[in-house]
Amino acid sequence: MHLKRRSFLTGTTAAAALTAAPAIHAASKDKQYRVALIGSGWWGMNILREAISAGNTKVVALCDVDQDRLEINAEEVNDLSGDSPNVYGDFRELFDKESVDIAIIATPDHWHALQTIAAINAGAHVFIEKPTGHTIGESQAMLDVSQRSDRIVQVGLHRRIGPHHVSAMRFLKDGGAGDIGMVRMFVHSKGGEERPTRNDEPPENLDWEMYCGPAPLRPYCRRIHPGGFRNFLDFANGTLGDWGVHWLDQVLWWADQEMPKSVHSVGGRPIAGEAVLNDREQTTDAPDHQIATYQFENFSAHWEHRRFAGKGPEQSSVGCYFLGTKGTVHIGWRDGWTFYPSDEKKPTIHEDAQLQEPDGHNIRLLWADFIGAIESGRRPIADISVGHQATTLSLLGMLSMKLGRSVRWDSEKQTIPGDTEAQALMRRDYRGDWTYPG
Amino acid sequence: MTVAVRSVLFFTACLLLLGICQGEEWYRWRGPNLDGRTVQANWSGRFRGDQANIKWRASVGTGFSSFVATDELVFTSGHIDGQTIVNALSRESGDVAWKFAFEAPLDDRDFEGGPTSTPTIDGPFIYVVSRLGELFCLDRLTGQLSWKVNVANQADVRLPGWGCAGAPLVVGNLVIINIGESGVALNKDDGRIVWRSEDRESGYATPVPLKSDEKDAVVIASGKSYKAVTLESGEELWSIRWLTSFNCNAADPIIHDGQMFLSSGYNRGAALYQLGGTDPKVVWKSKEMKNQIHASVLLDESLFGIDGDMEAGARFRCLDWGTGEVLWSEEELRPGGFTLVDDAILLLTEDGDLVTAPATRQGWTPTSRVHVLDGKCWTAPVFSNGQIFCRTIQGEVVCVEVTQ
Repeated sequence: MHLKRRSFLTGTTAAAALTAAPAIHAASKDKQYRVALIGSGWWGMNILREAISAGNTKVVALCDVDQDRLEINAEEVNDLSGDSPNVYGDFRELFDKESVDIAIIATPDHWHALQTIAAINAGAHVFIEKPTGHTIGESQAMLDVSQRSDRIVQVGLHRRIGPHHVSAMRFLKDGGAGDIGMVRMFVHSKGGEERPTRNDEPPENLDWEMYCGPAPLRPYCRRIHPGGFRNFLDFANGTLGDWGVHWLDQVLWWADQEMPKSVHSVGGRPIAGEAVLNDREQTTDAPDHQIATYQFENFSAHWEHRRFAGKGPEQSSVGCYFLGTKGTVHIGWRDGWTFYPSDEKKPTIHEDAQLQEPDGHNIRLLWADFIGAIESGRRPIADISVGHQATTLSLLGMLSMKLGRSVRWDSEKQTIPGDTEAQALMRRDYRGDWTYPG
Repeated sequence: MTVAVRSVLFFTACLLLLGICQGEEWYRWRGPNLDGRTVQANWSGRFRGDQANIKWRASVGTGFSSFVATDELVFTSGHIDGQTIVNALSRESGDVAWKFAFEAPLDDRDFEGGPTSTPTIDGPFIYVVSRLGELFCLDRLTGQLSWKVNVANQADVRLPGWGCAGAPLVVGNLVIINIGESGVALNKDDGRIVWRSEDRESGYATPVPLKSDEKDAVVIASGKSYKAVTLESGEELWSIRWLTSFNCNAADPIIHDGQMFLSSGYNRGAALYQLGGTDPKVVWKSKEMKNQIHASVLLDESLFGIDGDMEAGARFRCLDWGTGEVLWSEEELRPGGFTLVDDAILLLTEDGDLVTAPATRQGWTPTSRVHVLDGKCWTAPVFSNGQIFCRTIQGEVVCVEVTQ
């Protein structure tokens, strides 16, 4: 059935490609992919807007646990495309009732595995926001299920395809910075002590029980939703589990997907203060700073984030340095990439970023690659196997920080060898009737 | 006619005269015409040289409250040590004429905290709303408490997440505040509740009067909608569903020529509605103007406004009223608040610079710039009788005098 549908899609898309780049509304007659968005927040809508503007989609369904989000975003989809998507509060009901060609999943991390697997089982190709899983075991289960199917799974690592990343990587791989001995990844911002936020009754438009889903049911607090889940470890993995996945992926890209042998991480909340969670109020609980070192065969990589002190003396607050015999390449975000030669007499080399604003991403290119993969059957550029590796590195960092010691990694066997305590942290217990995948 | 009645009439006549004299004063939020603009300012609309003529400075406590003024005094409020302080300052010297203090938590969750509402002057009184939904009626000259009502309790309606922020609107014998689903009206003389609304979350904007052929009404920013309710009874005439991520409808609607402009931040955007008939009809919708906390200002057919998230860095833009088309957009300005003085934009940057520019459709072409405050400024400046009043969130106030 899948094969038949794919050949049908390929044929009609080829016809659509003959027409000129359409205006958004004019594209409606050429719609082919039945798209559903699960997790209709800020980032999910960024992805969906690109899907719509690509001109070959029909948005059939939106899913979110927040009814207000569904309503406001269904209205926007209608304004943008003329489509009138059905709205759902439960992704299982969506997949029961709708025929979906592509599922975009942009929920908090703790939902990624169950929803991706449900989407693949429903016959959909998946565009999943990074990280792949909230625990390593979830990410492995997603990889396994996708590899047993013929579905394409693209991970939202748009920095794999962003023009200045591509050109910086070409410069590096052509030896522009010489032999690379170490890589330093960093994300710095301002901040200070964190005061607790009062818990509230969940708003009537929010299904808080479903929001928490397989994660612990903690009291609702405005700090978590909307938009704040990343610094609550029940739902995500802080900055390393967010930005870290992008920059770790750049390292893996440069290293031709070679994985490190060991990981060591420290971090904590000396500035934000001890995490608070009680009946009355709560704070976030992700570290306010973290250092993680990754020992590869022939180089080492180092992650550093802090949510205080600003960028300090550095020229950029975000990115990674590839440090080599000829100098240092900084791959940044809005600041593009820059090569600082070790010979100070030589000029710096710089290339500007080419991003989509206001949020500074390259989802448009990543979406086009995804559609290209669906139509040709080739692997997409940020395939689930790629996303899984970068996610695993970030989660190994979190795991080492929690253990307070280094861990080794056997990438062949996908395990932390000879360390049952660490292995236990590769998965988590699910709440209620939710079943941990794999 | 008794002596008593005669003196009441005489007093009323004096008040009316006083009212006329104050017509040019900035006696309420967004000014006498509720449009964010001073007219007949008799000012060139530019500062001479690069130094402002600072008349005085004062310190009023943490908050976002803007200014209202009479010809003698200027009023604003701020938080100090567990209290909200309503300050009446001499326009001449900045000296404190009176202070009125009441217990109030700083409530600095997600932002710096302190009062977010601006007082309203009406005749001999000044009305002040607290974030906890209390309404105070004070004597304008002495600061003496005339009466107070805990409106949230009396009307049995909940507070919005960040507390009450809209200014009180006085219309006829009513003072209307934005609390509950579509406002609560009180008798302005004694604080008696005249009508209330349902116990649902309010928005953060100030009620705006709506004149119509049938019933006089007021438009209220609710948590999930903008609603027109009658002045007489608070009965709903129509409602426009208007969702944001945080029930955060903070910008006052702009009503002009039978049409109404709405805008909110948090990924909402803007729309123009045709009023009249039973339900308003959409003229245009746009994501290009997201007023997070400041309402836009309309001049002729041009809408000037701050688009986007203040913390992330908002943009100053001009839209065409009729079509919503972006006429120009200034990305790097970091606007903190603004007002119009005749046909000039007077903008306070987040870093405390006052910048002037002609309010035109052609583009942002600043004509003068002076630095007046150190600290973070998110409150709109006020121009009144040749003086400009600005504040930081931490409560540093400056009075700048301009040559008439």
